[in-house]
Amino acid sequence: MAALNLSTMSQEEVIQAVVDHGGEGITRCIQCNACASVCPVAKAGFPLFGRLLFRKLQTGHYEEIIEDPSSWACQACNRCTEICPRDARPFEIVFAFRRMQAEELAISTSAFTPLMNLHATGHAVYADSAKELRQSVGLPELPETSVADEKAQQEIQTLLENGPMGELGIF
Amino acid sequence: MAKVGVYVCHCGSNIGGVVDVETVRKHAETLDDVTVSRENLFMCSDPGQEIIRQDIRDGLVDKVVVAACTPRTHEPIFRKVLEGEGLNKFFFEMANIRDQDSWVHAHDHDGATAKAQKIVDSAVAKAKHLMPLEEKYVDVTQAALVIGGGVAGIFSALELANMGNKVYLVEKDPSIGGVMAQLDKTFPTNDCSACILTPVMVEAGTHPNIEMLTYAEVDAVEGYIGNFDVKIRKKQSYIDWKKCTGCGDCADACPVRTPNEYNAGLDNRSAAYIHFPQAVPKKAVIDMESCINCGGRKIGSETRISKKTGKPILAPCERACPAEAIDRSKPLDPQGEILDVKVGTIVVATGYKVMEKDNFKSLAPDSPNVLTALQLERLISATGPTGGKFLRPSDNVKPKTINFLSCIGSRDERYHTHCSRVCCMYMIKQAKLLKEKYPDLQIYMHFMDVRTPGKDFDEYYTSALEMGIKIIRGRVGGIDMLLEDKLKVMAYDADLAQNIEIDSDLVVLATAIELQDDIKPLAQKLSLTLDGSGFFKELHPKLKPVETPVEGVFLAGCCQGPKDIPDTVAQAKGAAAAAAVPLAQGRVKIDPTISEVNRDKCSGCGICEPLCPYGAITMTKDADNHSRAIIEMTQCKGCGVCTTACPSAAIELHGYSENQIMAQIEALTL
Amino acid sequence: MEKCGIYLGCNIPFRAPDIEQSFTKVFPPLGIDLVTLEGATCCPAWGTAPSFDIDTWLAVSGRNINIAEQKDVDIMTGCNSCFGVMAEAKHMVEYNPARRKKLKESLSKIDRTFKGTSDVFHISHVLHNKIGLDTIKKNLKYTLKEFKIAVQPGCHILWPSEVMDIKEDNPFFPTMLKDLCQVLDADVPHYSALNGCCGMGAMRSTDQDKSFNLVKTKLFSMKEEINPDMIVTTCSSCYLQLDGAQKILRERGEIDFEIPVFYYTQLLALCMGFDAANVAAISETPRDHIIQKIQSEARLIKEVENEVA
Repeated sequence: MAALNLSTMSQEEVIQAVVDHGGEGITRCIQCNACASVCPVAKAGFPLFGRLLFRKLQTGHYEEIIEDPSSWACQACNRCTEICPRDARPFEIVFAFRRMQAEELAISTSAFTPLMNLHATGHAVYADSAKELRQSVGLPELPETSVADEKAQQEIQTLLENGPMGELGIF
Repeated sequence: MAKVGVYVCHCGSNIGGVVDVETVRKHAETLDDVTVSRENLFMCSDPGQEIIRQDIRDGLVDKVVVAACTPRTHEPIFRKVLEGEGLNKFFFEMANIRDQDSWVHAHDHDGATAKAQKIVDSAVAKAKHLMPLEEKYVDVTQAALVIGGGVAGIFSALELANMGNKVYLVEKDPSIGGVMAQLDKTFPTNDCSACILTPVMVEAGTHPNIEMLTYAEVDAVEGYIGNFDVKIRKKQSYIDWKKCTGCGDCADACPVRTPNEYNAGLDNRSAAYIHFPQAVPKKAVIDMESCINCGGRKIGSETRISKKTGKPILAPCERACPAEAIDRSKPLDPQGEILDVKVGTIVVATGYKVMEKDNFKSLAPDSPNVLTALQLERLISATGPTGGKFLRPSDNVKPKTINFLSCIGSRDERYHTHCSRVCCMYMIKQAKLLKEKYPDLQIYMHFMDVRTPGKDFDEYYTSALEMGIKIIRGRVGGIDMLLEDKLKVMAYDADLAQNIEIDSDLVVLATAIELQDDIKPLAQKLSLTLDGSGFFKELHPKLKPVETPVEGVFLAGCCQGPKDIPDTVAQAKGAAAAAAVPLAQGRVKIDPTISEVNRDKCSGCGICEPLCPYGAITMTKDADNHSRAIIEMTQCKGCGVCTTACPSAAIELHGYSENQIMAQIEALTL
Repeated sequence: MEKCGIYLGCNIPFRAPDIEQSFTKVFPPLGIDLVTLEGATCCPAWGTAPSFDIDTWLAVSGRNINIAEQKDVDIMTGCNSCFGVMAEAKHMVEYNPARRKKLKESLSKIDRTFKGTSDVFHISHVLHNKIGLDTIKKNLKYTLKEFKIAVQPGCHILWPSEVMDIKEDNPFFPTMLKDLCQVLDADVPHYSALNGCCGMGAMRSTDQDKSFNLVKTKLFSMKEEINPDMIVTTCSSCYLQLDGAQKILRERGEIDFEIPVFYYTQLLALCMGFDAANVAAISETPRDHIIQKIQSEARLIKEVENEVA
């Protein structure tokens, strides 16, 4: 690929945005690759996994990578956090990037359904077929969670709407 | 009437660029008792100093105030000027109008100038009351102590001894040699470590000026530079070293098996043992903690005589010794014996240890085939557990693939943030030695960076690449355990930007260098501090790497920070040179700006005694049987705590007396 | 009887309710009174609030924890993801006063607060450390002798260890689930991919095929190294992934074997004698044959006449 002209990349802005979204360890990363060597996202074959994502962000990439879905494959397993020698907290940097992507709605379509479910019922995963399944094992149709509790649903809707998620306009 | 000379310095533009020097000079002229007031671009330069000298010679001044930079660096220079012209050197006062004025008020020229004038007022007020003080001297004991018998301690001891000084060389193991004696070869020459070390060990062991005390530790240190009182504990070896010939028969006879420290725990030794084959001194010791008393011979118990043979019933070790050096009926003190020695200076050369692999949970520490680099060094050494044969610990089979991991515990927020400095080079050394011997061996090395500073070091690294040793840039995040004690290294190739996995027979961890767990008590005994990485702290990281804040105590080798053998030897010789200075001078200067008790005023309340951080104050009885405080001048550092605490104002801090301080306060506030 | 709040999450009550039943069956005899957390919501799942805004995440988790606080109980959950979300949220709030303040402000809008008095556990922590292996052993009816189990602890129960109240001595070589299976008399050999991720969750939603790469690594490691009779996990996500993925992989011809998967309390419930129709009824990979073997006469634990000690 052609050479990257770093003088044209707004590195400080991108790094600051990452820090503001919860990834303040990004300046501590020395690209040692320990996290990448054990990261499930890297091992599963996604192109923009942990260490590489941090380097892209450190060098000011933003528009170039904002659409890449790899960050949404992060399982939050935190094996990276457990072994990072710089206490850079790699998981939090990945999620900071996710939050930056979410602000621009650069998220996969599969991420919308859980959000809508969460708002409506308080559960990210729900399907009506659950009722029959529960009865077949001897349980009542619905559990005593928010799925059958209007007050609880109102509570969670208040929490979701009173924040940046409410401003996304998806609810 | 004092004749105070005021000399205002521009210090180039450091002061002159902010403070209006001429204004300050003019102001000083107006003060009482100021006879001359001059200025110069650099007062500390030769012409600057000459101005002061001339005024003294001309009889114009008998007290000198220099308004310039900091006394920390320049007070000695100007004191020398006064002394050179026959004036008591303590008739000098420095007014700091740089660090405390121009440097901190760089944006307020007017304010800085006004403050400079006030500072000069204060200095002149004090100068009027300065009293003559005399430096005192104490004699220096003509001997040195070196703590630690590794390569650093050995070279320090030899340098000091060759200069003609008596040296006590104390080593806690039964033999000198330290970690270097455990190495197989040394980089970059691949010299056999024992071959280059043993001649020096023998030299130290037989030097007429060196009293070698092995299997001994420092119990207590009292005193001060030139006059240290040291208690050395010679640990109980339970073997008469005057008789012991180092034949090793007792070790063969002893049934105990306990982890062998010399082989980094890879094999066992007996309770009666000789440290290693080239030990100096070659004497055996009995490690009583591991001894199982197999012969039923409790130490100090009477020897029973066999009714059948009429001969004494002895333990296997006693029977085996042809020199009759072991006698378990002797009631030897398990605490050993204390040797009291007096020395003038001390060199601390206690060396280091490497971190154990158990600290690193993600790297399969339970597998017998995961080793620290020191353990690998023992494995491939001819005096090691396999006699130098390269075999896997789990099944004694020759490995086909070996992986080296760097920076294990170093450059790591979770353990030590420092770089251990020697690991890159020694890993390459081990890889090259193995590849030379076993060309079919697959060797992978995982580095974050490859650090090879030093003569012929980078060439050492590039030649390893050419031998077919595979070097990968990327840190290893974990090791999985496979069947048959094989290991899967989960690594990353940063240049390929890809995860990689390597199935390995043996994995070697380059673990961090740190100080021994029991180093804190020794540091406390010597009043030394440890730095943020846990190493002994030097006095100044750039300019005083062998000195410590405790005068007369010096550092050499890895106890001050990780370094390789050439740097260790250089520092050892440097520490020896520094430690020899007081010995060569024969006497040590005591600074007179210390506190002194006026026994007539002292009420004997004793408040001062526990306050002194240097333990310099004691209560002693006078002729009238009344207890009063007395300050040992060789230990007082002039901190002033006792002076301010004394309710009878009986203590004076020379050079900072009450009338001097009061005059300063008056000048500043009126 | 000790009380503990049972947090169900989403997958367990709606996709694998037999796991929920197994909780209600095994805990009371083992001395734990399960307290329902009425009105609990999603933890919130990693792909929802935590991926959008930290304070919203902390608010939703904080609300769930507050439900338990109001009932004066700790929380235990059967889903690793839920455990990770809530344990990390609680840890963050405890160590960051600014976040704690914001959390209280958010919760006050729904008339709630956050006290920090309830701890967050995983059911395996409660089984291993609070109930204890001895108590479990006393309540067993059937033995799993000579069965070989491959354990899948999952990820969030291992890392990040600093946020957990109860944790493994060495998260890279975990032993809690192994202990829990060994107390049932089964063999639990080590396999090299034991602490690897299963790929469920956000990864599966983003790209199912790539998540199956992880499943295949795990299955092949299990099959080739130890050839187990069953897989046992304490994570509902791992359960769904390992169980469901095998069916798809077999249909594609990428694997030619199948290993039945159990959630640990399901297996425990079977060993304690409960009815499989309630506790182990829903799976893609068939396990009836194993269940029949487990709950057979030959495997009844015979009472040994106790000699007076």
